[in-house]
Amino acid sequence: MKYWADLKYKLRDPIALGTQLLLLLLGIYSLLMAEQNRRWKVPVLFIGLSAWILWQNKKKHPLIYIVLCLLLIIDLYHDYFWVGNHHYMLLFMVLSVIIYDYHKRNDVLLKNIQILFVVVILASGLQKLMSSQFMSGDFYYYMINRGTLFKNFVRFFPESLDVAKSNAKNMFELQAVDPNLGESITLKNIFPNLGAISHIFAWVTVIFEMIVAFAILWKPKSTGAHLLLILMILGILSTRFETGFMALLALSGLFLCNNTYLRLMYVLIITGCIVLIFTKLGYH
Amino acid sequence: MIEIEVMHNIKIKEFVLKYGIPSLAVVIILIQLFFVNTQRLNKWKGGGYGMYTEIHYYYNQIHIPGMSVDSLLKNDLEMKNALGFLMLMPNKNNLNKAGELILKTTHKDSIHIQIWKPIVNSKTGFYSRELIDEVYLKNTDF
Repeated sequence: MKYWADLKYKLRDPIALGTQLLLLLLGIYSLLMAEQNRRWKVPVLFIGLSAWILWQNKKKHPLIYIVLCLLLIIDLYHDYFWVGNHHYMLLFMVLSVIIYDYHKRNDVLLKNIQILFVVVILASGLQKLMSSQFMSGDFYYYMINRGTLFKNFVRFFPESLDVAKSNAKNMFELQAVDPNLGESITLKNIFPNLGAISHIFAWVTVIFEMIVAFAILWKPKSTGAHLLLILMILGILSTRFETGFMALLALSGLFLCNNTYLRLMYVLIITGCIVLIFTKLGYH
Repeated sequence: MIEIEVMHNIKIKEFVLKYGIPSLAVVIILIQLFFVNTQRLNKWKGGGYGMYTEIHYYYNQIHIPGMSVDSLLKNDLEMKNALGFLMLMPNKNNLNKAGELILKTTHKDSIHIQIWKPIVNSKTGFYSRELIDEVYLKNTDF
């Protein structure tokens, strides 16, 4: 029973827990990105690290956060169009936590996290609505028939896996043909009626994203909103190991959520994502 | 009067604290939309959260009649960057830049460079490629 009490005690303060997990995620992400733009990172890390070692006891500034945040900004400046979308979201979350260290107001931090989350999910939904290739189902159709979506499920259906492999092979072979000849191939469906299913799946995705965004905007602490968010995160993880992004969504959920059990769920999701990122099974 | 001004300042500070960072995210999204709509930036990148909304730029194809793109890329970081950027943002400007670099490295007199994207139709299973843009360049550097 002592363990359960300890666990409950730990889960009582989502801001302390969230900032701890964010730092862990940020550290691993920085390590994986360390080789990019090394020339700029070396002086920042050197100064930051020596300052941290020499003035460790003066906890006036969140030094580790600031140094790692600078590394994010260096990569953003040099590879603005190359970094992933979660790089931006991570930077905004880290900035929120850094300014929290100065204003110390929980309501401000939670408002930052809530509105950032809503902006990200709404943008993602609107981008899909604006893409005819997505809304027609053509994008999902292409990804699924190529075997790049639901990869971990398709392997349980050997016949479907074979069809996906042959589609990928045909596409690869077409790539070698001069595109000016106007040749085409016909993709084989790995499951029947995939065209219609992709179309419906596209609409379901957008509607679900919109519902989650508005639920968190309207009632950021409600159990219902967080159940939907957890469902969305698990759903996305089952299509692809987008662990970097999903860890950030789950972190936002953890910061905002009021329910101990759901907080535990978020912590497990984030930890799982961190493990997958660390072992490079998931995307960082 | 002074009291009203102080209240006003507090309100502004409150707003910046709560909505400053999310507003920054919105600004980045607007910049991304601008680049997508005017510079043909692929929706996957640029911080607009448009991942998984269209086929990834990795599958765009650079075609240069009479030349192998793979051998151009071999051990040439500058070429990798230029052609990679062309796939990510396949507009005229990047086509010209890539073309000029290829002319410079291969010492050819002229070049025809095209960028294609995959197209797919979920109703029929049709899969082919569509020309995004192309340029013809002549080497003026004699």
